[in-house]
Amino acid sequence: MSQAFTVEAEPREDFGKNAARRMRRTGRIPGVVYGGGGPVIPLTVDPGGIRRILHSESGHNAIFTLEIRGKAPARVMIRDWQSEPVHGDLLHVDLVRIALDAKLKLKVPIHVTGEPQGVKVQGGIFEFVLREVEVECLPDNIPEAFTVDVTPLTIGHNLRVADLPVGPEVQVLTDAHRVVAHVVALRAEEEEKPAEVAEAVPAEPEVIRKGKAEEEGAEEEAGGEKKEKGKEKE
Amino acid sequence: MFMPSKVKYRKQQRGRMRGKAWRGSDLSFGDYGLKVVEPGWISDRQIEASRVAIMRFIKRGGKLWIRIFPDKPVTKKPAETRMGKGKGAPEFWVAVVKPGRVLFEMEGVTEAEAREALRLASHKLPLATRFVARAAAA
Repeated sequence: MSQAFTVEAEPREDFGKNAARRMRRTGRIPGVVYGGGGPVIPLTVDPGGIRRILHSESGHNAIFTLEIRGKAPARVMIRDWQSEPVHGDLLHVDLVRIALDAKLKLKVPIHVTGEPQGVKVQGGIFEFVLREVEVECLPDNIPEAFTVDVTPLTIGHNLRVADLPVGPEVQVLTDAHRVVAHVVALRAEEEEKPAEVAEAVPAEPEVIRKGKAEEEGAEEEAGGEKKEKGKEKE
Repeated sequence: MFMPSKVKYRKQQRGRMRGKAWRGSDLSFGDYGLKVVEPGWISDRQIEASRVAIMRFIKRGGKLWIRIFPDKPVTKKPAETRMGKGKGAPEFWVAVVKPGRVLFEMEGVTEAEAREALRLASHKLPLATRFVARAAAA
């Protein structure tokens, strides 16, 4: 933890979407703190402070001090957060109290450095498949990220979870055989005239019919005949 | 052109597009993406045109994910037809998108290349879009 953050919060007394919307209009967001053997406390926080933590080097794994008005400060971590889909504004945050002597399960990001040989020399495409791994460790030993140099990676070789530089104090829970990144060869040149090919494809897909449908179809046909007869009479 | 291989019903009603895309609004695969900021329909041809524009620009290298699929049939009545006599024939397929939906994702290219490729793609689409990157999306 390179930076020490402190977030001030106030206990929340209004609940529901209407109260939450009114609160967001004033510039604060609803949140909740739980865990660590303490009570569940609904609260309001300043989204700027939470955003600073999310954009810090430790990201969502940062442990910080939560000062709730009228209550003792607590060491907490962001467990979950919701953001607005278009503009990305924070809408709600879940905080969890941390006991410094109990192990935590959390996801640590993987960062890659260097340009793989498979891309530079062999002309392949680098695929970064797994961007986070789940680990278990004490709060004091939370790694900010696992940084891996992918320069030696060539086509057909995989970087797996087992290859990550993990310290002895951290236990990785993700399957050690899972592929983190690899370099794949380019496929044969893609067809450049898909539109023309598509013209040949039938315009309508197959319609899934049940057993009854055929009977109904027969009835409809019979009905159609009756209507036609009626018209003829007119 | 994209379209479902099997459908339960040949024709659908138009429907409404209220709300935002609470699902499919984050970058899940690539580093860069194109996000739509208004609701609307994107047809199979428009998706294909965007895909071709991106692939032509990035040529070799780079990976593309298309995060939408046109699964809604749109019907049309023939020209100079009187009203009535039932719904028209299925004409093309559309993907219904709501604000916030990520349409395309890219990886294996520089940010400048991704921006340009997705800008070209956005010109093939009928809706306003915005470029998003993984760092900013966090």
